[in-house]
Amino acid sequence: MAMRDLVTGGAACAVPGTAASSSNPFGALSNAILGSSSKTQELKGLPGSAVNVPGPLPHFRTEAPLSTIPGLENEGQQHHPPVGQNNEFLARFRTADHGVLADAWNEIHQPPALQTQGGKIEAQFQEFEQIYNRGASSMLPPAWDGPPQGVLSRFLHSFVDSGRVGVPFRPAALPVLGLSEGDKQCIRDRSFIMAHHIFADKSEEYINAQVNALLHSLDIDGNERLRGPVRGSYPELEEYWTESQGALRSGMPYPADKWVSEFARQRENGDPEAWAHSFEQLHGANGWASEFEQEQSQLASVGQVRGANMSHIAAMEQSRMLAHTLAQNNDPKFQNSKFLQFVSKMSRGELIVDENQIKPATGSLTDNWADEYQAQYNAGSSSWADQFVRQELPQGTDKWVNEFVKENQQQGVDDQWVNEFSKLHVQDWAEEFGQQVAEGALGDSTADDWANTYENFLDEQLLASKQHSGASRGVYVFSDMNPYVGHPNPLREGQELFRKGLLSEAVLALEAEVLKNPDNAEGWRLLGITHAENDDDQQAIAAMMRAQEVDPTNLEVLLALGVSHTNELEQPEALRYLYKWLQNHPKYGVLATPELADSPYYGDVARLFNEAAQMSPEDADVHIVLGVLYNLSREYDKAIESFQTALNLKPRDYSLWNKLGATRANSIQSADAILAYQQALDLKPNYVRAWANMGISYANQGLYEESIRYYVRALAMNPKADNAWQYLRISLSCASRNDMFEACDSRNLDILQKEFPL
Amino acid sequence: MESSLQSAGLLEQMKIHLSTDAGKEITKKIGLVYQLNIAPKKIGVDEEIFVVDLKEGKVIKGPYDGKPDATFSFTDKDFLSIATGKMNPQIAFIRGAMKIKGSISAAQKFTPDIFPKPSKL
Repeated sequence: MAMRDLVTGGAACAVPGTAASSSNPFGALSNAILGSSSKTQELKGLPGSAVNVPGPLPHFRTEAPLSTIPGLENEGQQHHPPVGQNNEFLARFRTADHGVLADAWNEIHQPPALQTQGGKIEAQFQEFEQIYNRGASSMLPPAWDGPPQGVLSRFLHSFVDSGRVGVPFRPAALPVLGLSEGDKQCIRDRSFIMAHHIFADKSEEYINAQVNALLHSLDIDGNERLRGPVRGSYPELEEYWTESQGALRSGMPYPADKWVSEFARQRENGDPEAWAHSFEQLHGANGWASEFEQEQSQLASVGQVRGANMSHIAAMEQSRMLAHTLAQNNDPKFQNSKFLQFVSKMSRGELIVDENQIKPATGSLTDNWADEYQAQYNAGSSSWADQFVRQELPQGTDKWVNEFVKENQQQGVDDQWVNEFSKLHVQDWAEEFGQQVAEGALGDSTADDWANTYENFLDEQLLASKQHSGASRGVYVFSDMNPYVGHPNPLREGQELFRKGLLSEAVLALEAEVLKNPDNAEGWRLLGITHAENDDDQQAIAAMMRAQEVDPTNLEVLLALGVSHTNELEQPEALRYLYKWLQNHPKYGVLATPELADSPYYGDVARLFNEAAQMSPEDADVHIVLGVLYNLSREYDKAIESFQTALNLKPRDYSLWNKLGATRANSIQSADAILAYQQALDLKPNYVRAWANMGISYANQGLYEESIRYYVRALAMNPKADNAWQYLRISLSCASRNDMFEACDSRNLDILQKEFPL
Repeated sequence: MESSLQSAGLLEQMKIHLSTDAGKEITKKIGLVYQLNIAPKKIGVDEEIFVVDLKEGKVIKGPYDGKPDATFSFTDKDFLSIATGKMNPQIAFIRGAMKIKGSISAAQKFTPDIFPKPSKL
């Protein structure tokens, strides 16, 4: 469905985020096939084809766009708001799914000259056209000069290689690859991350220059507009709309939104506001508006078709009453308890506030109302539509259309409805609430704080609902888009990338490997190690657990699990794995006593390891495990001693230097810790964990500005390191850099790197 | 190892952290006493009580001798999430993952930046 909709630009084509694969080469190919096969079907419903329009339109009512008619009405009418503030209200509306219809409406209002904005049509439209032409002429797949994926992959490899030999990368001319915005974004983001790994020892400008050279060759815009997260799906939706409009005008029949096309066709007849008029007539003059108002006063009659609207109004009413009560009582104690109620009301979604709301300005308040309305509206729109359809039924489609045409010829549309609507109590409510807040019912900072929090809460819930499906503990979460799937030997590729220090890339290659061979313990193990070095213990644990399933006695896996659980402060688990390490060790296994295995006591395990260390003091591994164990029991001096002994035996083990550093940091020897981290980074410049640990050490010393730089550096290499993001935010707050919160929350590394270069 | 809670590890680190310059800075800035009732699984069940005394710069196991400025109840995991910045304390409160007794203004100063961050091996 998605693929076809992307081509046709239907209302459901808002594929979220960068996942839109409409124009990656494979997607394009399948689109070509899907698109052409759907053409025939679509042609039936064309408004332009004379067969259908006068006769009954079979899909006319059931089409999705119909359900949004009432929305359109509101949007359109909002073009004449008596109060300027409502513009924002309108803007909010437009970003909704109804945007398509809103645009239709807008267009109608524009002089015809403005309607041909062919210049705005982007690459995607060209592709649409291509596909269409292809589909129309022949169903053969297009002939590219070699598979584009191959071209792209070779090209990217040449970039990586240039980093290895240290020769500046030279841009090259490439055939047109037909990359979509989403693909471009993906490539750009990944190149930036990769470049930070490859050129970890080089300056920021050098890295940027390299990446820009790469991007330029690929015809990707390296500017900031494109970087960072795609802002929701709506811009895309609107683009598709533009496309479809373009198609419509250039004589290419556009069939998806029948209603809209119909509408567009009709608009040539005259003033389209007549539509509103027509609607008005159907329901009696001002019928809808007055009905709406009635409902607002008769809150008791919930459960009607417009239940959604009703509950929304009820919510408004309730919060208004709450605000009222809050203001009336000046007893601080009472206010406290009411305050709690207020918050709990927010939690139930009965009241929406955001940071702007403490300001008495009502503009932003109206805004919120709009948001809420919209939310309710989306929920209720189908019932609305149902009702609409039901009311239509007795009159028949033809009649509706006829009437519509007739109305189009009438001039001088009555704007009463608009006025009526804008007179609704939106602003009263907003003002009242604004006043309450301004009067200090809540206290400025408090309301601000809690209000922000509520927004975060909503966001988090969204996030949580997404993540909880897969990311519960111990379950490995695979990346969405993985270019290494289908690679002939992803394990070797992953090992190579890991060796080069391209950790984030190595993760992808290794994921491809374990997807291909889920029983490859080495694949899982290296994946776990890579995640640990990339500062993601949750994923490291998940991967290591899979490795252990396949190979239960692998010592490296057992040690890694012990370390990761220690990092997550999970003592019993850590202890169990470290004990298993001892049990399965060919030399020290004899020391283990089976009855300890289930729930080993810390004291016993420590004693056994000390015995092991006496058995062979030259074995660095035993000292490493001992060091980890002493971290568990927070005997940091002993831990430091163990790690130092191990380092004498294995001075070039970067992860050991990091362990020493982390132990020092946890025992508040932050300055010494930094020296150890530096050693680790000298040996492995893109060791994300060490960079992040540097940040932690600076932060724990109260050097927040410094810590921010290191966090940002770590994040540039692995934007998925959630811990570092959280710590970064704390440091920003401590350094009074609240101005950077937004960049941090939207994970905009461009801005952060510019602001906090290392 | 006397406590089975993960939080105990962090509070242990907090204890020594408060003796550093950065820790003293925090004590000076906050100047309040928080009591933490940390439950292994469910709020109110088998709670272990810690006092984070940011007047004196101490972390003590057991209830506070006197009236703390604010008392929090949460689970082990939720406390860790809050202290490491994974979860905003206010969100925790809205969710019911954190219960507060005492002064709201004191509770508002209970933020992740008063806790040291554990470094990773």
